[in-house]
Amino acid sequence: MSRNKLYWLFLIACFLGFIYLLYHLQDSKNSTFGVCIIKNITGIPCPSCGTTRAVKLLFQGNVLDSLQMNPFGILVTLIMTIVPFWISFDLIFKKDTFHKSYIQIEKTIRIKWLAVILIVLVLFNWIWNIYKQI
Amino acid sequence: METQKIDMFMMMNAKFFESYHLNAVREKLLTIDESKWGMVQTLQLKDPTTALIISIVGGGSLGIDRFFIGDTGMGIGKLLTCGGLGIWTIIDWFLIMGATREKNMEMFQNALY
Repeated sequence: MSRNKLYWLFLIACFLGFIYLLYHLQDSKNSTFGVCIIKNITGIPCPSCGTTRAVKLLFQGNVLDSLQMNPFGILVTLIMTIVPFWISFDLIFKKDTFHKSYIQIEKTIRIKWLAVILIVLVLFNWIWNIYKQI
Repeated sequence: METQKIDMFMMMNAKFFESYHLNAVREKLLTIDESKWGMVQTLQLKDPTTALIISIVGGGSLGIDRFFIGDTGMGIGKLLTCGGLGIWTIIDWFLIMGATREKNMEMFQNALY
């Protein structure tokens, strides 16, 4: 994937993510409304269900509650806060540090034993989500 | 390389590439020498139809389709966001075949250039 395409994709994704988060922060009553296809069709939560609530809890300062809701929340928060600054830095100074890191991370994750560990963690998170009835 | 071999390769593997890639693939194969033929034949090209089936049958909102074609970064993005809040999942039902062919071309280029 070319540098510019990747950057715009990430910026748009982060932007939409923030809009969705703002929308969610505003009406906290409407919590039964879910966007997850898997959960809407089967009734079983997917591995990343509860991420929005986890991010919300994290912004309110409840780190432990957030971890208990869904550990993905912290990961998503980190990505969503760091990536826009990193990309703007790259765009302003005309560098491609983020692009290089992205490719490097992709390569690292594809190492077999690391991939297996990560898949097991995601599956474990999925089982935990079903158990918690998120 | 022999034209006959290249024609055979093109016939067997045309579905793995976008139509506008085919000319470049053919030109490239004409320039390389015989010793690389083994490598060309053993390239693990991904089938766009398989990717589409994975995407529709439920792998879409977990990002499995993106992992399958080797687009690990996008796959993680889809996994962490419930398939882009369901929207990306539906968009990918239409984009995944093209993305697979682009990835195949990338793989072909990485192997030979």
